[in-house]
Amino acid sequence: KRRRVSENQEIEDRLESLILRVGEKSSSSLESNLEGLASVLEADLSTFRVKILRILTECAIRMPEKCTIYATLVGLLNAKNYNFGGEFVDYIVKTFKENLKTGKWNAARYCLRFISDLVNCHVLAASSLLTLLETLVDCANEDGVPQVRRDWFVFAVLSTLPWVGRELYEKKESQLDHLLVTIEVFLNKRSKKHWPALKVWSADSPHLQEEYLDCLWAQIKKLRQDNWSEKHIPRPYLAFDSILCEALQHTLPSIQPPPHNDGDTYPMPRVIFRMFDYTDCPDGPVLPGAHSIERFLIEEHLHNILEAYHLERKECAAQLLCFPYKAKIPLEYCIVEVIFAELFNLPVPRYLEICYGSILIELCKLQPSTMPQVLAQATEILFMRIDTMNVACFDRFVNWFAYHLSNFQYRWSWEDWEGCIQLDPEHPKPRFIREVLGKCLRLSYHQRVKDMIPETLAPLVPLKPEPIYKYSMEGAASLPGTEAAHRLVVCVRNKCSAEEALNVVRELPNPLRDGEPAAAHAAHYNPLKIDVFVQTLLNLGSKSISHSFAAISKFHYVFKILAESEEAQICVLRNVWELWQRHPQMVCVLVDKMLKTQVVECSAVATWLFSKDMAPFFTHNYLWEILHLTIDKMNKHVSKLSAELQEAREALARADSSSSDSEDESGSKKKKDQDKPTEEAVERMEERLEMAHTDQKRLFLIVFQRFIMILSEHLVRCDTDARDPDTHWYRSTVARLRQVFLVHHEQVQKYSSTLETLLFTQDLDPHILDVFHQFVALTA
Amino acid sequence: SRNEQEKLLRTSSTLYIGNLSFYTTEEQIYELFMRCGEIRRVIMGLDKYKKTPCGFCFVEYYARADAENCMRYINGTRLDDRIIRCDWDAGFIEGRQYGRG
Repeated sequence: KRRRVSENQEIEDRLESLILRVGEKSSSSLESNLEGLASVLEADLSTFRVKILRILTECAIRMPEKCTIYATLVGLLNAKNYNFGGEFVDYIVKTFKENLKTGKWNAARYCLRFISDLVNCHVLAASSLLTLLETLVDCANEDGVPQVRRDWFVFAVLSTLPWVGRELYEKKESQLDHLLVTIEVFLNKRSKKHWPALKVWSADSPHLQEEYLDCLWAQIKKLRQDNWSEKHIPRPYLAFDSILCEALQHTLPSIQPPPHNDGDTYPMPRVIFRMFDYTDCPDGPVLPGAHSIERFLIEEHLHNILEAYHLERKECAAQLLCFPYKAKIPLEYCIVEVIFAELFNLPVPRYLEICYGSILIELCKLQPSTMPQVLAQATEILFMRIDTMNVACFDRFVNWFAYHLSNFQYRWSWEDWEGCIQLDPEHPKPRFIREVLGKCLRLSYHQRVKDMIPETLAPLVPLKPEPIYKYSMEGAASLPGTEAAHRLVVCVRNKCSAEEALNVVRELPNPLRDGEPAAAHAAHYNPLKIDVFVQTLLNLGSKSISHSFAAISKFHYVFKILAESEEAQICVLRNVWELWQRHPQMVCVLVDKMLKTQVVECSAVATWLFSKDMAPFFTHNYLWEILHLTIDKMNKHVSKLSAELQEAREALARADSSSSDSEDESGSKKKKDQDKPTEEAVERMEERLEMAHTDQKRLFLIVFQRFIMILSEHLVRCDTDARDPDTHWYRSTVARLRQVFLVHHEQVQKYSSTLETLLFTQDLDPHILDVFHQFVALTA
Repeated sequence: SRNEQEKLLRTSSTLYIGNLSFYTTEEQIYELFMRCGEIRRVIMGLDKYKKTPCGFCFVEYYARADAENCMRYINGTRLDDRIIRCDWDAGFIEGRQYGRG
């Protein structure tokens, strides 16, 4: 019997591999392969029915680009065996419903596409599909559900039409027209408040960054004008028309999508990223226009390849370059546009930024005759349009470009950008170059960056990243802390203890207590002690990051004593900055370390970043790098505590439910009891989480309040001085506010209503208020 | 034993990074490897006698998943104009930073 089982297993595996591979390159035609496979499967239907149903459905979802191939196969099977056709319809409908229920929106969409394609293969009746599509569009008109839910239903229906539009038009024209009218009415009254927040460029020329549903709608309207004929989808069923039209058709059961529940999540709205049109491409195949359905189909296919192969950068590059229709399109341009679309996606890219960077490197290596040029052209285009680029995308562009250069010997025609030096240094173009050079510096070294840049751009090269230690510079003698600083150096070099180090700074006078007794009363800390200690210690550890970390951990005790209050912590941060301001990476790493070792709290970092001293650096990326790492730290802390609590609650529930189990399971029960947390432990965890939430809320309140203050101040000042408030500084700071909302939207959302009542009130400047409303609209 | 070693490798978040330039600094390593996730520590490989960098280091991430991404996206790319190599490491032990030089 065992032999039978393993034999069956072998056959199953063989069938699976045959099904998976149909449509791949082969010596015989796709038609004959499909015909052969249909016969093989027909013979095995009696034994392997369930297995075959499952594999075919999985293929439909996992390889959406081969939709029409599998639909043809199902069509051929249905023509041979009507019952199997019926079972398949039931099976895929069941899968569709499950995906809807579990919120697997893309899988559901591919099921729906497959179901539609079955109409083309005479497995399903057109009228039956139209009923389903109408039901789905009805869902888009439900009241009291989030717009993102309603959007999905319309998107799902529209994105099936390239496959089945023609068939529906021929068979059920008036019903199809009616469906389209309903969709148009929906789209016309739909809110697009979120749209500006998601655009990569705020300007609409040369290419409009369309809202995704609007774009698809325009493409579908164009397709309809063209009598629903498109040139991208292979349709193998056409070759089998004579067989398929003989088959009997099934009807779909009635399908009612599950209702909305609070807590259900839906795909976020997007914009369609465009950076090329046909004029950008050299002679050869023409890039389909922005509103041609081919553009949609090509892009979706390329995004799917990225999804399928993103874990294997070399294979991913190879798959992208062997795109099936590459002779008909300027493939390199399509690939570069799609990769940048993902990299610049807002609020966050689908995968790590470096994933896209590494795929672009592989593409250049694999296609050295064309890819590097297209990528250089793309970079030039992005740079030309950088004035209106979203600041989050600006940062990603900087990071990618420096990384890419570091993989290609930093070769770039910098001379082309020399003109930028004439611009206001705060203008996005010189700022971009400055930031790229800053990042290149972090990946290489100062001399290297100086050598790769023409003399004219030298003013944009960052200063050599060294510490500025004032206690050993000229004029140090007149500083009140110099003598103590020198004693501290000797003491630390002699491997003193933390206590001894503290003793050295103990006698330093407190400048805050000079003069009035009231001031003395208010001073909870001694800024001079902190100054001498922090700058001297970190300067001693300035040789490397490891040296600095070792210094912080050895003298952690001193930090804790000196920096008890928030003001004192801010003072610590100010001194880190004073010493390391020419080495932003060091500041980031040290602040991160001090957060981790609880020398400073997140709120102190936020308050420091928004202090007067830092305002001139608001147009530098690293300041925001520090803010985001601080917010991330807080968010991670909250997520960790809430995951732990969740786990403990589940363990408790498991242990309780098994306490009634019978005697013979006592072994496993004992095990469970050991893992079982006590009720008190769970309560303590709840309290800790609640405290973390309070801290998180406070952090966001500080951040947003400071943004509002600093922006409002700017507006008022410009008003009194009768100056134009719309400066580079103002634009970039508003953009940073928007970035905080977007990047941390999942966490910020929890506090939307608090923010609305406390900070983003109606009396605020409409520009600032608008940023908040766009954020709220993202998931509305 | 070999089994234990393999198990350690499967769960490790530490990578051995080879073929570095002798001039590559810790800061450069942080800058590149940070792009895959938060780094717990970097240990520079040092010449046994001269105690100077000698072309390798260990990078330890907090999370295994970040180290996996590093293997996927950084292994075989360039740092300081050299193609660097990443390998799984069972975990750093004091003393292992001293190489042949």
